[in-house]
Amino acid sequence: MDQRDNWHLTDLLHAERGRGDPFAAAVRSTRMPMAITDPAQPDNPIVFVNEAFQLLTGYSREECIGKNCRFLQGDNTDPVAVAKVRKAVEAGDDIAIDLLNYRKDGSTFWNALYLSPVRGEDGAVQFFFASQLDVTERVESQRRIAGQKEQVDHEVRLRTADLEALLEAQSLLLHEVDHRVKNNLSVIGSLLRMQIRGAEEPVVRRALRSTMERVDAMAAIHRRLYQADDVRYFELSSFVVNLIQDAVNASAYNSLTLDSSVQRTVLPSEKATSAGLLINEVLLNLFETYLPLAAVKLDCHSDGKTISVTIGTRLLSKTPHHEMPAISAKLIARLAAQLEADVAWDRTLDGTSATIRIPVSSNHAET
Amino acid sequence: MQRPKPPLNILIVEDEPLIAMDLEMMVEDAGHSVVAEATSLYDAEELNDDLQPHLAFVDIQLALDTSGLDVSQLIQKRWPRTIIVFVTANPKIIPDDFAGAHGVMPKPLSRSGFLSAMKYIQEGVCDPPPTVQQPNSFTASPAFAATWNK
Repeated sequence: MDQRDNWHLTDLLHAERGRGDPFAAAVRSTRMPMAITDPAQPDNPIVFVNEAFQLLTGYSREECIGKNCRFLQGDNTDPVAVAKVRKAVEAGDDIAIDLLNYRKDGSTFWNALYLSPVRGEDGAVQFFFASQLDVTERVESQRRIAGQKEQVDHEVRLRTADLEALLEAQSLLLHEVDHRVKNNLSVIGSLLRMQIRGAEEPVVRRALRSTMERVDAMAAIHRRLYQADDVRYFELSSFVVNLIQDAVNASAYNSLTLDSSVQRTVLPSEKATSAGLLINEVLLNLFETYLPLAAVKLDCHSDGKTISVTIGTRLLSKTPHHEMPAISAKLIARLAAQLEADVAWDRTLDGTSATIRIPVSSNHAET
Repeated sequence: MQRPKPPLNILIVEDEPLIAMDLEMMVEDAGHSVVAEATSLYDAEELNDDLQPHLAFVDIQLALDTSGLDVSQLIQKRWPRTIIVFVTANPKIIPDDFAGAHGVMPKPLSRSGFLSAMKYIQEGVCDPPPTVQQPNSFTASPAFAATWNK
C-alpha cells in the first residue's frame, strides 16, 4: 500500500481523533519507529506501524498488522528481558528496555524499546504505544569497552605479578650477597685476631689491633645494613649508639658512664661504610687507652640536611693529649672529604669533645 | 639444680674453618674450653653422647647443605640442658620462637661483642640471673630466661 494513504488507517484505531489531527500526523511522519497495539484483541496485536518502523524492521505494514510484537524476537533475544516486557503489559506499566530484535532479512539490531499504556477516560488501558530505537552501535560499543577493560585489567594483573616476583627475587639476591659479604668480613676479622695472637712485638700487635677494630666497625655497619624495611637507608643513630656502648663495655675503666641524647637519623646506604668508619676513627681517638675515662656523652641529631654526632669525654684526672697517629688523621681527613663532612675538635686537659657533621645528601646532588 | 662452674664445655658447629678457629680462640680467651667441633649435621650426629656440652654455638648455613636449625633440634633431643646460641650472618631466617634455642649472635662478630655476649651467657648458665646488661651482640630468646628459674 502506498505510504501516502496510510492516514486512512487511523480509522481502524477507533480513536476519537480524526483526519487532520496533528498528533496522528506526528506519529505517522516522525523518523522514530513507532507501533500501536490493541490489548482488547486476542494476543494484543499491532494495529498500526509508522513508516520509520517499516524501514527499521524491513517488514511492510501488511506484514506487521495483526501480529504480536514478539515476531521481531528470535533465538538470541534474552528471555529475561522478554518476560519483563510481558509483565509490564500485564500490569499496564511503562517499560524501557533493550531487546535484541530481528529484521525481515534475518539481521539483528538492538532495540531500545519504550512501551507505555494509553488509558481512556475510564482509566482502563485502551492501547499500548511503543517507540523503537536502533541502539546497536551503543550496545556493541559498551560491550567492546567492557571487554577491553577486562583485558587490560588482566594484563595489569599479570604484569604486577611479574614485577612482584622480580622484586622478591632481587630482594633475595641482595640479602644473599649481603650474607656473603658478612661472612667474608667475619673471616677477615678472624684472620686479624689470629695474626695478633701470633705476633710477639707489641708494636705489631698494636697495629694489628687497630686494624681489627676498624674491621670490627665495618662488621657492625654490615650487621645493620639492609636490615631496615627500606634498604636504601641506613640507621646511623642506632649504629652509633651500639658502637659507643660496645666501646664503653670493653673499656678498662669500669665506672665509665654513658649519657646519650639520640634522635633517629638515617643516611643513604651507600654512605654507611664511610660514615661508620669516620665516626669509629674519632671514637678510637677519644678512647685511647692512655686516657682515664670517667664519663662519655653522646649527642646525635639531624636537622633534615645535616646529621650532627657529638662525642664528648670527661677524664678522671687531667691528662695532656698525645698527637693523633698519622694514619688516623689521614683516615679522618679522607673519609670526611668523601662525605663532604667536617670534624671539629675541642680538646682540654679534662676531656675532649668531637663533633662530626655529615650532610644527608650530597651538596652537588639535586634535592 | 646443680649449675655448672666455669670453664664451660662448649661445642662449636661452624663450617668456615677460619671462623671456627677464631671462635675457639675467643672462647679460650674468655676462660672456657671447646670440647668438640662439627661442620655439618652429619658431624653433629656422630658426636659422642657423653659429650654433654654446657653451651653450643651453632651457625645456620652448614656444610653439605645442612642447617643449624636441624642441629639445634638434634642437640635439644640428645642434651636437653645444653644452651644453644645461633651464630649467623642471617638472623632473619630464625623463627620467632627460635625453634627452642636460647639466643642468637649476629655475624660478623667483633672481639668485644663476642666477649660481652660470652659474659652475659656465662652468668645466665652459671649464676642466673645475669647481672650485666644484655649486650647488643646477643639477643636472648625467652627460653634462655626460662632456664634461670629452674
